[in-house]
Amino acid sequence: MSSSAGWESCERRARQMTVGFLSGLSWGDPNANVIHVGTGEFAVAEHPAILMTPALGSCVGVAVWDAVRHRGGLAHVMLPASSEATIDGNRDRFACVAIPHMIEAVAEGTAQPRLVAKIVGGAAMFKASSNPSNVGERNIDEVRNQLRLLRIPILAEDTGGNHARTVELRLDTGVLVVRSYMYGIREL
Amino acid sequence: MRPEALTPLQIDALRELGSIGAGHAATALSQLLDHPVDITVPEVKLVPVSNVPMVFGGPETLVGAVYARLLGDVSGGMLFIAPRGAMLTLIDLLRNREPGSTQSMNADEEALATHAASVLISAYLAAVSRLTHLSVLPSPSAFAFDMMGAILQVATMEIGMKADTAILVLTSFVDERAVVDAALFYLPDPESLDVILGRLGIV
Repeated sequence: MSSSAGWESCERRARQMTVGFLSGLSWGDPNANVIHVGTGEFAVAEHPAILMTPALGSCVGVAVWDAVRHRGGLAHVMLPASSEATIDGNRDRFACVAIPHMIEAVAEGTAQPRLVAKIVGGAAMFKASSNPSNVGERNIDEVRNQLRLLRIPILAEDTGGNHARTVELRLDTGVLVVRSYMYGIREL
Repeated sequence: MRPEALTPLQIDALRELGSIGAGHAATALSQLLDHPVDITVPEVKLVPVSNVPMVFGGPETLVGAVYARLLGDVSGGMLFIAPRGAMLTLIDLLRNREPGSTQSMNADEEALATHAASVLISAYLAAVSRLTHLSVLPSPSAFAFDMMGAILQVATMEIGMKADTAILVLTSFVDERAVVDAALFYLPDPESLDVILGRLGIV
């Protein structure tokens, strides 16, 4: 896609959305049922809650859903594997740690074959990125790999590209709503 | 060094470093724009990595951003951010046009913004370099125009590999007519703190 066409639609959407800068405006949905998932964390909930995580760049949002119990989890995966890093803090930012944990928490000992996954994110945010390691792509690979090991099918994905995405997981329908400046609102 | 372990004196030293760097960047910016630009007192923020996209209230705020990694004796990153409107105004000023003339970001605007921000980043780092007697150079700059949360996230990615807390040394640019609304972040990697603070004599 030519860059200018993409940015034009991005611009159009920008005019429709309100902008506040470094102002400390409290941000979020007034709906108290929305659970925010922070970077490198995951959350598990049941309908009527909605799981959401804002502004995925090179991070990957992994949504897992159980259609019978209307229960699901959303992980905001930041890095692929913990072998690449040395930290003692929260290890849930790594795909290889967060995904097995989350799936255990969603399944609660019930039949895992019911679970399905949708994945979003893994963009290369900066053009001509000075980061040669391309974290986004490696995140996507590792997420796919983990889900394959756990035999969870990926029903849909919106990955790669160079735009940021915000995702919301609706636990009644399993629909994953993806918002971006580039493409507006998409449902997976 | 773990960012959580910084003493108030060390945080003051980082703030001072930011102030000197940003002062040079503001001078460079006012020369580029031919328009006086001032800076606010720098803030040093320690933010949990899990909360980085939320720090400035609007993770989905549309911003233009220019990012460069640091090369040389210390590692880290520099990030220039301006919200969409301010970015367009900056481009108008750089082109010597009436604010409001540029309405969208295309390849030309991107290149102009990237070059201008690289000048600011170089000015900032030159000052840091002189103060600490370290060789600190910027990598080629990269441009993005998207959600602020995602941009901050990517810029602090390297920190996330090593620590739970990100250090943001933030300076905002201000001017009398309130047309320049932009910010410059210095994002030191945790292991570079010892080197920088050691050079400043505050270990």
